[in-house]
Amino acid sequence: MVGLIANRFLQLVLLLFGISFLVFMSMHFAPGDPATIIGGPTATESDLAAIRAELGLNDPVLLQYFDYIRGVVQGDLGYSFQNNQSVSEAIATRFPQTLNLAIASMVVAILIGVPAGIISAIKQNSWFDVSSTTIALAGISIPNFWLGAMLILVFSVQLQWLPVGGLNAPFWSIEGMKQLILPAITLGTASAAMIARMSRSAMLEVIRADYIRTAKAKGVKRNAVVWIHALRNAMIPVITVIGLNFGFLLGGTIITEQVFAINGVGRLMIDAIAARDFPVVQGTVLLVATLFVVVNLLVDIIYAFIDPRISYD
Amino acid sequence: MKKFRLLGVSLFVFVLVALAGCSSESGGASNSGANDSNAPQELTYATTSDVVGLSPIDTNDSVSSAVIEQVYETLFVRDSKTMEIKPHLAESYENPDDRTWVIKLKEDVKFHDGTPFNAEAVKYTFEQFMDEERAAPRASLLEPIESIEVQDEYTVVIKTTEPYGPLLAALSHTNASIVSPEADKSGELNKNPVGTGPFVFEEWVQGDHVSLKKNEDYWNGAPDLENVTMKVVPEYSTAVSMLQTGEVQFIDAIPTEQLPRLESIKNVEIQQKEGTPVYYLGFNMNKEPFNDINFRKAVSYAIDREAYVEQLKGLGVKNNSIIGPKVFGYDESASEEGYSYDPEKAKQLIEEHGFEGQEITLLAANRESYMKMAEIVQANLTEAGFNVKIETMEWGTFLDTTAEGNFEMTFLGWSNSTADGSELLYPNLHSDNIGSSNRMGYDNPEFDKLVNESRVTVDQEVRKQKLNEANIMAVNDAVWVPMHHGVVTAAFDQSVKGLELDPTGQWSLYNVSRE
Repeated sequence: MVGLIANRFLQLVLLLFGISFLVFMSMHFAPGDPATIIGGPTATESDLAAIRAELGLNDPVLLQYFDYIRGVVQGDLGYSFQNNQSVSEAIATRFPQTLNLAIASMVVAILIGVPAGIISAIKQNSWFDVSSTTIALAGISIPNFWLGAMLILVFSVQLQWLPVGGLNAPFWSIEGMKQLILPAITLGTASAAMIARMSRSAMLEVIRADYIRTAKAKGVKRNAVVWIHALRNAMIPVITVIGLNFGFLLGGTIITEQVFAINGVGRLMIDAIAARDFPVVQGTVLLVATLFVVVNLLVDIIYAFIDPRISYD
Repeated sequence: MKKFRLLGVSLFVFVLVALAGCSSESGGASNSGANDSNAPQELTYATTSDVVGLSPIDTNDSVSSAVIEQVYETLFVRDSKTMEIKPHLAESYENPDDRTWVIKLKEDVKFHDGTPFNAEAVKYTFEQFMDEERAAPRASLLEPIESIEVQDEYTVVIKTTEPYGPLLAALSHTNASIVSPEADKSGELNKNPVGTGPFVFEEWVQGDHVSLKKNEDYWNGAPDLENVTMKVVPEYSTAVSMLQTGEVQFIDAIPTEQLPRLESIKNVEIQQKEGTPVYYLGFNMNKEPFNDINFRKAVSYAIDREAYVEQLKGLGVKNNSIIGPKVFGYDESASEEGYSYDPEKAKQLIEEHGFEGQEITLLAANRESYMKMAEIVQANLTEAGFNVKIETMEWGTFLDTTAEGNFEMTFLGWSNSTADGSELLYPNLHSDNIGSSNRMGYDNPEFDKLVNESRVTVDQEVRKQKLNEANIMAVNDAVWVPMHHGVVTAAFDQSVKGLELDPTGQWSLYNVSRE
């Protein structure tokens, strides 16, 4: 296990180097000049030149990249072009909101997806199965911005049950939970649908297995067969999907954050891209990439606990 | 079997209870302030993007300006009704000669940190503004200033390298606000603003909100509002929902497509006012046939701007003049110039000069309003016999592409935040600025001369006349087709009283209260 973690850690470092290089270069060579955006349409040529010099954009790109990496290795992600705030600080103030949102969405997705998938499998072709499969398909297809806007119209504007936007109260407070409900449903729906589909097919496979028939034959109660014997084995592929989804959720909160006015990392990233704020783009991309890899590593570790047959040695 | 059904039902019940549980305590989300005479003197404003910084010297965007307007003040202001410039932190001024401005300042004004406001503070602010190393984004506003001298505690003398007519307009620009020298020397002014304005900065949670509180010691009497929050809500439709539920009380710059929804909300009032911004279709003067006056005339005749403005539902005004009716230098005679919609004349020019089937690519930044312009213009021009394509681009890429001159015809706007025609014609159409803000590459020595004259004269009547001549020349050259002149807008909860929009789209919360 220690070997696995060390190995993955090494991979992570190499991966991050690669990602930082790609992002750095693509930002610098993509059209759009940070100085013209900071200066705005009113800036004159001399204004722009002064801004470029101030940002150090006149150095050769490779030199800029090595300067950047030297900082990152020392734990310094640089400073925003736009407001000179430290990038680590900018990320630190926004990450809790994104993490809250991703976890809450995951909870929604699991609470809905796993039971729905299992029940569909056990009652294959029943009305429940047909309707939940249909809803799952819809859940995957509905765009987040539309779902979010509709939830706001119904639950905030019409019924006035929940606030429209913002996520600033502590998540354990009642206000905080109320703020989380709609965004979590919006973001979690697609994952719930994916988890439901995966749970259903995994469960269908397992309940046809010989050992389940044996268990049934020796008179184990149906519930015990499903929840004890079948579920644990069916969960292995489901956990992969959950893990992958969690990685996506952490990096994919952009639209939901936008619709619900949540001050998270996704919005930080999209604003930085629009403003060509290179240090912030690089910092947030590195964060999302790191999280994705770490979540996957955690999934591998959880595997080993659930399924003793899996060994990484 | 039964248990599974039970599970499904309990899940459903769980979700319902979770939702219903919230409803019992959601009073906060409903509109509590509307009919309450003892309404708390608090106001939340929603903005679609975050403040960039809070130092007037170091920023140049409208959201930052909205906060800066409340915290800092300028020496002069433009009266939003008469559009005349009048002293504000200044008491009076005189011109002993046309390169010298002697400005007397108000006495007994203090910055929020207790630093006295005086001639030294003004000198410090403007010298920082012009400091090359500091690279203030709007440094060009004060570029003609040669020196700033402190004559006595409350008198500054500004000398310019040549006579500079728009100086007062420049000094009334939000970015020329006076800052506390003490606070600026700490190097944190962008995060911790200190001015003399009616509101004192409290906190800025980046990406989330800025909060301000009333300045009890404001020199002109404290404002009514106790607390002001400026909240970042990136989606306009979310902001509208928040206005409807009372989570925010004030939004501005209403997009046309949100207008019907806002009008249908009972607790919301809408303010619309003719403003200073101008939106136009511009031609690349370095490409053929776009640099041909006959081609530009044909295009101008072909575009039905009446119909275009109509679909803006009141959020735009049609006028052939480039300098808009609310901008200094406008004269009604300019509205009669130029080329109004006349499809017959367009067809005739096209036939005479062989423009039939000419391929045109309209470049539009991917913002709703510009894309709409592009679609309508495309339809008009296609009807006239051109072969028109639309290309859209993300804003950052667009700015770069147009600055490099890689386009044929494009749409842009200019907000005119000093409301002075020189500050419109000089940056956008004067040959000094080709390669930067003169994106069309318009190069007309006669026009340049008139604009120069409007800048180097301090006699405002002469300036106005020169600007009008320059304006008419550019209009008849059809270098821009003005699509519409902006209407500035705000929507607010009916409990909000005393809000007055400035024609530049800016506003002050000084006279605002809640009932």
